[in-house]
Amino acid sequence: MIALIQNELMKIFGKMASWIYMVIIVMAVLVAGIIYMKFSGDPNPNWRQDTQAEITMLENQMGSASEEEKGMIEEQINQTQEYLDKGINPTAKTNWHFMNDVVVRVSSLVTLFVVVVGSANVAAEFSDGTIKQLLIRPHRRWSVLLSKYIAVIIYAMLMVVTLIVSGYLIGLILFGSGDFNMKIFEFTLEGRKEAIVGTQFFLKMLYFIPSLLMVMTIGFMLSTLFKSQALAVGIGIFVLFFSSTLGGIILMLADKYTWAKFLIFPHLDLTVYALQDRILENITLPVSLSILAIYYAVFMMITFFFFQKRDISI
Amino acid sequence: MSQFALEVKSLTKRIGKKTIVDDVSFQVERGEIFGLLGPNGAGKTTIIRMIVSLINRTGGTVLVNGQDLDESFTQAMNELGAIVENPEFYKYLSGYKNLKHYARMALTDITEERIEEVTELVGLENAIHDKVRTYSLGMRQRLGVAQTILHKPSILILDEPTNGLDPQGIREFRDYLRLLASQGTSVLVSSHLLSEMQLMCDRFAIIEQGKLVHISTMNENETEETKVTRSVEMEVSNASHAAKLLKEKMPEVKVTSIKDSRLILSVEKETIPVINKLLVLNDIDVFEILNVKATLEDRFLEITNKDKKEQTV
Repeated sequence: MIALIQNELMKIFGKMASWIYMVIIVMAVLVAGIIYMKFSGDPNPNWRQDTQAEITMLENQMGSASEEEKGMIEEQINQTQEYLDKGINPTAKTNWHFMNDVVVRVSSLVTLFVVVVGSANVAAEFSDGTIKQLLIRPHRRWSVLLSKYIAVIIYAMLMVVTLIVSGYLIGLILFGSGDFNMKIFEFTLEGRKEAIVGTQFFLKMLYFIPSLLMVMTIGFMLSTLFKSQALAVGIGIFVLFFSSTLGGIILMLADKYTWAKFLIFPHLDLTVYALQDRILENITLPVSLSILAIYYAVFMMITFFFFQKRDISI
Repeated sequence: MSQFALEVKSLTKRIGKKTIVDDVSFQVERGEIFGLLGPNGAGKTTIIRMIVSLINRTGGTVLVNGQDLDESFTQAMNELGAIVENPEFYKYLSGYKNLKHYARMALTDITEERIEEVTELVGLENAIHDKVRTYSLGMRQRLGVAQTILHKPSILILDEPTNGLDPQGIREFRDYLRLLASQGTSVLVSSHLLSEMQLMCDRFAIIEQGKLVHISTMNENETEETKVTRSVEMEVSNASHAAKLLKEKMPEVKVTSIKDSRLILSVEKETIPVINKLLVLNDIDVFEILNVKATLEDRFLEITNKDKKEQTV
């Protein structure tokens, strides 16, 4: 099995494209870093005085405001006061802020490239005809396919590491070293949530991995079933970019139809759980993970069953 | 050690109601080159793909070196090397990496020396570290041979191996097969190129519409020819006169065609000198006597046609 995985890795890294995708990830992080640096204000070292001044200004406004406005302004004062109370600098910008705000979003690019590499890994064997040479060896078909799957997972993990490391280094160069334990406010649908910036970043990356694995598995399944990379990548991209939209629509339906909750889309992006505890009344992280696990098992079974049975007649 | 390198017993493939391969059985002996002949679509490729387990069998068993493909799959597959249609490679990898790839997949340990040895055997030592993308078709075919013999299989299975090769490539390929066979490796080869088979095989089977219709050795094929009447072409000074003369004096000789100064006769071997003498004594000059050899192609057509006739009856 190790020899088979070695082979698959040799094939993945023998292709120039696999390396280019890694470079693109680094470039994307760099470009995002430069944009982040240029278009968000510089960190303000005197933020305490300025925030205090803002509160004083708001208090002055309140004196001359109507009853309706008074409530709003009071709310605003409370929120601003919270920054002072908790010691959170609203203008802080360190490499950890960069990672938590920006690098996390580049992760969808990682998914995209992993789907491309993963589906090419199977589909190209069919389109190049090399599948015939691969399957006349003293190895069961399922072990050949499993070695491919594991090799793609290894590639995916390398891409994630590339993302994190390049994010950290580029952040370090552009924004300087920040405190991992610095507190921040995350803005969520349920309001503000206090969090620690470094932990928050790694939590998001951790929740990103199951969705990466799911989209990758869907791409892998489609390329095995249809022997077509274009189809697998197309549907993979569709799933990747429309899952949040579809997830939102499905969640609206979920009030009316219970079964809608069990569709895959609302659960594909788990990173929301880094911000909030539930996406619907009774849907929490364990529920989402269980639903994903069932889909995962079904996809894997379909993939391996059909590959085992298929007549290779190309 | 089993007696046969490959044993195929009542191999059958049905897709839906259509029977593509119907109860085909044959054996390949050690060190023998065995040919599967048949027109396109006869089921040769399906038979080969079933043997190498690319296609599921509807029925029948395959024994490779005595190992049943169903019972001990990995051991049986380790005894077999194959090229199914064109040898396909990972073009973005070097020839060496491609060989390394397949070497890693063998059950037995394949040393660097073995890879080198095989590379030298097929004469690719100068190009082995180039990407396969840069190889000519002939070089790919040679790399294909290298890849199949890396793990020293008992039997090589080659499906239409000379497709797309130039005459020199075909010649080279044939020499490899002969060399391997002389070292004890058996070869099963399929082709619709009959003349090619004639030069390559020790024995052959003819496949027609999924059925095995005929098995014989090349030698059998040749000895049969000497017994029966054969076609003889003669170049003479006066063909029409000669034909008339033959008709008068030797009515048992059949003149099949007269063209310019050439006669084509259907005769037995012993009568050739008699005819010659007759013509010479009657002042007809004989320039040339040619034996028109019945090729495998003729035999092949003869056998398959006879079969069709029987079917229509």
